[in-house]
Amino acid sequence: MIVEVEEVIKRFKDRLALDCLSLAVESGEVVGLLGPNGAGKTTSIRAIVGLLAVDEGTVSVFGKRQDGRNKEIKRRIGYVTQELTIYEEMSARANLEFFGGLYDLTGDRLRERVEAVAAVLGLDGRLDDRVNTYSGGMKRRLNIGCSLLHEPELVIMDEPTVGIDPQSRSFILEFVKQLAEGGTSVIYTSHYIEEVEAVASRIYIMDQGHMIASGTLPELIARIQGDSHILVDVRIASEDVRQQLRGIPDITDVVLEENQYHIVVPGGISVFDQIIPLLAPLTIVNINSKQPDLEDVFLTLTGKQLRDAV
Amino acid sequence: MLKFYFTRSMREIVGHLILIGIPVVIIAFFNFVFRDIFQPPGQLLPIPYLTVITVGFALTFQIYGASLSFEVLGADFFSSMRDRLMASPAEPRGLVVAIIGSGCLISFLQTLAVLLFSSIVLEADLGSLHLTIPIFMISVIVNQLLGTAILLLSRSTKVANSVITIYGSIVPMTVGLYFPLPDGAFVRVLSRYLSPMALANTAILGAMEGNLSVALSTTAVLAVIGIALFVVMRPLVRRLAS
Ligand SMILES: Nc1ncnc2c1ncn2[C@@H]1O[C@H](COP(=O)(O)OP(=O)(O)O)[C@@H](O)[C@H]1O
Ligand SMILES: [Mg+2]
Repeated sequence: MIVEVEEVIKRFKDRLALDCLSLAVESGEVVGLLGPNGAGKTTSIRAIVGLLAVDEGTVSVFGKRQDGRNKEIKRRIGYVTQELTIYEEMSARANLEFFGGLYDLTGDRLRERVEAVAAVLGLDGRLDDRVNTYSGGMKRRLNIGCSLLHEPELVIMDEPTVGIDPQSRSFILEFVKQLAEGGTSVIYTSHYIEEVEAVASRIYIMDQGHMIASGTLPELIARIQGDSHILVDVRIASEDVRQQLRGIPDITDVVLEENQYHIVVPGGISVFDQIIPLLAPLTIVNINSKQPDLEDVFLTLTGKQLRDAV
Repeated sequence: MLKFYFTRSMREIVGHLILIGIPVVIIAFFNFVFRDIFQPPGQLLPIPYLTVITVGFALTFQIYGASLSFEVLGADFFSSMRDRLMASPAEPRGLVVAIIGSGCLISFLQTLAVLLFSSIVLEADLGSLHLTIPIFMISVIVNQLLGTAILLLSRSTKVANSVITIYGSIVPMTVGLYFPLPDGAFVRVLSRYLSPMALANTAILGAMEGNLSVALSTTAVLAVIGIALFVVMRPLVRRLAS
């Protein structure tokens, strides 16, 4: 086990930031930590990195108790902070060299790593430019790069895509997948459902200091037993067909509104084989199907939309 | 590491213009306006007026130069940067030493620039530099440590800035730099010994006059203040890391 957080409680004065939080990261997996602002993602991460002493419970990293003083643990973690922590008035190269130096990289090895990291993050052309001339997306990439020089086994990224353009965002998501393919374990926090869905092999959902659910995406969706919704637009609707559709055992409900059938099916069940033959004679104009997703999971478990909670 | 902090501080162009440009302008101005009052033509002072104000303003701007260390320390340790630095295996103590070291170096270079200007452009007689330069250096270290100690105590760059600004405005007055002080035993002690700047000023002018016992004894006291600040800072730096 790379990280094991067990029943951790952290209070800031009388505010409970982490309430009996447990979490585990296994070797080589990308764990997504999803939750709205203030859920406690950064606090969890700071406890794992050893920047924060917890009030109760234990945090172990690489099998050792995290007390924030063990340099061997520090050497094996790459921590990408939520805020940009790079020196804007310096060049990207100077930043990378400085942060590599903090991990005792020197000389040729350091130069090599700077080039390699810049290359994978697509910064190699602008390495000697000052960071304050960079776009938001490039700054974010450099912010990630500064945590990778020492080739950490565990990379922890705290909302690494906040406030950047879609291209940079997909670049970063793709990069996270590559990291994991190379065997690096990753903890990735975000309040964006799509990102966590895209990169994480296992997902923890947090809200108000609680871990409200965890599992793979299919597990989480199966757990809430959400419904799939199929919307079928036809040229000429008929009430008879609605009745026939309603008669199919797997279908929970069918509503006909103008020329649209709204068919409700339990999540994970496919009824297309059965409904198409019935609907085809009415001339299908459009079919839309919405599977339950993490948003529904969050909604079911907390009673609120993640987007609203943000 | 030192090189990184040095380069970082050197990027603060405006800061350098202030810390070199303002004293240079003030020295030239004071020399132009007040020299004949303090040093009537034909009268010989033990140390020329221009030399006195050159030393005085160089020391004054060493006080403001304390920001060279504490601004960097504040930006690194009282911001989100702290998390990145503390997540690394680097010792915070090592980083603090590098930051103060770089602050001292730059402040000292600024002092040299002011002295050079005064000596070359205004043709000030600065006397035996091999004696006075080490005193300027010790004074730089004391000032950088003082600013850093204030930052570490207050944990706020803003507070440290205000304290240093006020301190840097009052102390030169008590040394008699801006206007002549009334005569009296206490004022004499105050202006010569009762602040790090007074001690450095007395030591440097003493060295220029050839009064080595005064120079050495006041430099020794100044050095003791530096060591005391260093000792005070150890627990403060340890607190920084926790
Ligand atoms: N250093 C701190 N002092 C006091 N309260 C804090 C501190 N850090 C976080 N909190 C509080 O703890 C809660 C969780 O914050 P955080 O972990 O930053 O959430 P997230 O990263 O999920 O947005 C919030 O209510 C926040 O205000
Ligand atoms: Mg956060």
